[in-house]
Amino acid sequence: MSTTDDVKNRFEEVVVETYTQNDGKEGMLIKKESLVDVCGFLYESGFDHLSMISGVDYVEWMEVVYHLWSYTRKENVVLKVKIDRSMPVVNSVTSVWRGADWMERETYDLLGITFDNHPDLRRILLPEGWIGYPLRKDYDLTIDQYVIIGEDGSDVVTTDASKLLRKEVLHDRN
Amino acid sequence: MTETEEFTINVGPVHPSTHGVLRFVLRMDGETIKDTEMVLGQLHRGLEKIAESRSYLQFVPYTDRLDYISGMTNNYAYTKAVEDLAGITVPRRGEYLRVLVMELGRIVNHMLFTGTLFLDLAASTPIMYCFRDRHNILELFESLSGARITFNYIRPGGVRGDIPEGFIDKTRALLKELPSRIDEYAELLNDNEIVKMRLKGIGMLNPKDAINYGVTGPMLRGSGVSYDIRKDDPYSVYDELDFKVCTRNECDTYARYVVRMDEMRESLHIAEQALDAIERLQGPVSTPYFPRIFKPVRGESYSRIEAPKGELGFYIVSDGSEHPYRVKIRSPSFCNLIALPQMVKGLKISDLVAVFGIVDICLGDVDR
Amino acid sequence: MTQTIYDNIVYLLSLVGISFGDSIVPKIIIVLFIAILILVEVSLMVMFFTWMERKVLGHIQVRRGPMITGPHGLLQPIVDGIKLLTKEDITPKRADKWLYFIAPLIVFVPSILVFIPMPFGQGAIVSDLPVGILYIMAISAISPVGVLIAGWASDNKYALLGSLRAVAQDISYEIPMVLTVIGVVLITGSLSMQDIVLAQGEKTWFVFLQPLGFIIFLIAAIAEMSRIPFDLHESESEFVAGFFTEYSGMKFAFFFLAEYAHLFGISAIMATLYFGGWQGPLIPGIPVVIMSVGWFTIKVLAIVFFTIWLRGTVPRVRVDQILSIGWKVMIPLALLNLFITGLLVAGGVL
Repeated sequence: MSTTDDVKNRFEEVVVETYTQNDGKEGMLIKKESLVDVCGFLYESGFDHLSMISGVDYVEWMEVVYHLWSYTRKENVVLKVKIDRSMPVVNSVTSVWRGADWMERETYDLLGITFDNHPDLRRILLPEGWIGYPLRKDYDLTIDQYVIIGEDGSDVVTTDASKLLRKEVLHDRN
Repeated sequence: MTETEEFTINVGPVHPSTHGVLRFVLRMDGETIKDTEMVLGQLHRGLEKIAESRSYLQFVPYTDRLDYISGMTNNYAYTKAVEDLAGITVPRRGEYLRVLVMELGRIVNHMLFTGTLFLDLAASTPIMYCFRDRHNILELFESLSGARITFNYIRPGGVRGDIPEGFIDKTRALLKELPSRIDEYAELLNDNEIVKMRLKGIGMLNPKDAINYGVTGPMLRGSGVSYDIRKDDPYSVYDELDFKVCTRNECDTYARYVVRMDEMRESLHIAEQALDAIERLQGPVSTPYFPRIFKPVRGESYSRIEAPKGELGFYIVSDGSEHPYRVKIRSPSFCNLIALPQMVKGLKISDLVAVFGIVDICLGDVDR
Repeated sequence: MTQTIYDNIVYLLSLVGISFGDSIVPKIIIVLFIAILILVEVSLMVMFFTWMERKVLGHIQVRRGPMITGPHGLLQPIVDGIKLLTKEDITPKRADKWLYFIAPLIVFVPSILVFIPMPFGQGAIVSDLPVGILYIMAISAISPVGVLIAGWASDNKYALLGSLRAVAQDISYEIPMVLTVIGVVLITGSLSMQDIVLAQGEKTWFVFLQPLGFIIFLIAAIAEMSRIPFDLHESESEFVAGFFTEYSGMKFAFFFLAEYAHLFGISAIMATLYFGGWQGPLIPGIPVVIMSVGWFTIKVLAIVFFTIWLRGTVPRVRVDQILSIGWKVMIPLALLNLFITGLLVAGGVL
């Protein structure tokens, strides 16, 4: 019996659809409200390794993909939740896997997906104050953003190139 | 009762032992670490965004810049995701050649790891020994790909070119010589009393926490979890090769160091088998034709491989065009680093250097 | 009292017919000349040590070390010196200027002063103080003060933590060092350095009479010289450069010189206390002064070579481990050594 069947039996009406990735990994799209429950169930049933969390922007909607692996059963399973692009919020799974912490921060940082109940949801790769979420399809690549050192020594993001110390690196952007 | 005042100390982003541009903000009580916060992103180059505007083949050189110490495995991880996506199979001789260079790449990575770890502990000799031997392997890579660090060698459909003349003999001679070199490191370091004093009993991470944090690779195997993707979820031709998974149960930094030393020997063993196979097998190393305008079918694939630093995964979403719709990189350095605050809590600042060295990260891999 | 350099110079001058009675000026000139002689001697040795360290370490590490400047890089120390002198001398904005300026001197001067009662050879000693070894120990205890001042005045957390480490280490290893020296003094019955050397001529090298004491002294000496594995003074992988993180240019050069002068000084003390000082087989036809200085230099170089070898072999010990070795192992052993030596001396065996 496959993992998707297990989940279907355990939670009614949670699995929206099942699919197979091009590489043959079993995947299921689940309702986002029951994400943490499903993850908890899968964790209990042996899927103890959260390999990756990735967010994908499909312009009309967004998806968060969870790739899981079981050390004991040696199986893969893929979970997917679909979220509204205008209000991209999903529950955090840090209560199940502590390793999800930084992965969720990264997804928040680069795609602007908010994770509820995350202990410390801040930007991780980009500095605080960065304008836009780079991995969204509508991210404006024409804005130049610079990181300068603020009054108190912290990193400050600015679009004003004249505040840079090394002015000669600026190039004409036409 | 004396009262002490906590203070913060800033280590990095430019510091001798952060191996790049990583910044720690440590909350200290005297020399004891109370809390660690890491500030990442100084080397963030937006590779995932870049991928969306490159063709599938164009992105291969960018993967070299991820973990620039072991470019071969990065090439392969990405390539495998693309091949899974499009259903390309590679000739067996090509697969063996890939395995050969990946295992040599693993040795290169572990040599650099050993060198820098002990450099951080102020022993400057191991890094010289390691670089001497690493150089020999890089020479081989250079003869294959023309580059020493950024290879761009393994690519969708196979590898870039067949082995040059004399490659097999040179590699065989090197594989014969390397075990004695690894013994030399072991003789200098493994039973060194001060090395043991510095590494034993610090940076503890029990198996349960290690799994929960998503720590992988030698870090996990040093915590006693026998997990190696090459064995448990085999890719390429690893299921035809004979090798052991090296584990240690002590859960401390010394165990993780010894695991890597053992892995170097296992990698040599694999490389020998792969070299035999390359010599034995006939035929091409790449698929005969790889389209210049490559448009895989719609869909997605996720491939993970056992990179030297841990589990390296690529998640690729294709919309049927010639650019990937989304590339997401699961980098081992990023995911292993998250366990560091727990590992160093309550230790001295000198131990931070040792534990951080043992995590074996590459900032290009962390920040992407 | 044995011959000193001063006596020898007066003797040499009298040979060529120059003599002076009670006038003070020529005496002062000679004394100044001796002072410069010692400074030059120390500087030359320091330069040679830096070159030797690079070469020996290079060859340990399968490389060749400096090869460009001069034959086998022999001129490298001079080039380094020029580089340090021409570098910008930076004082941090928030540093305590006066203390920041004076700290390198407080570290540097004692490291030269220890050479006053040092017997470089037979008749090659500046002044054979009756309390020679006591004087050396006392003088070398001053430099931690300079280290602490440097760390505090820099207004830098790395420097402050580094200096606290360095001082903690210096103080904890001075105690076992002095305790083992007492063992040697008990056998000799004199604090004079020259007497200690002569006593080893009569008996045998004290390394054979005081094996435990020698080992303790060796470990303490490596800590005092702040060499790997006990180089907490620098601890570059944690605190960038320890207490001299903020120093550059000439002030850094002073710390650098002091460190190697310290290396020379303590190696010289070790050679004197345990390896018979300047004593060694003489070759007929060569003046005794030159032979003895040669033996002394060879012994010092051998000890320096050993420390470089050690540096190429082992990593650094952690700060708490250093202190616990110092207080929990070294001091009890040093006291044990003192007790045994005292018994043997009282019993007339030694």
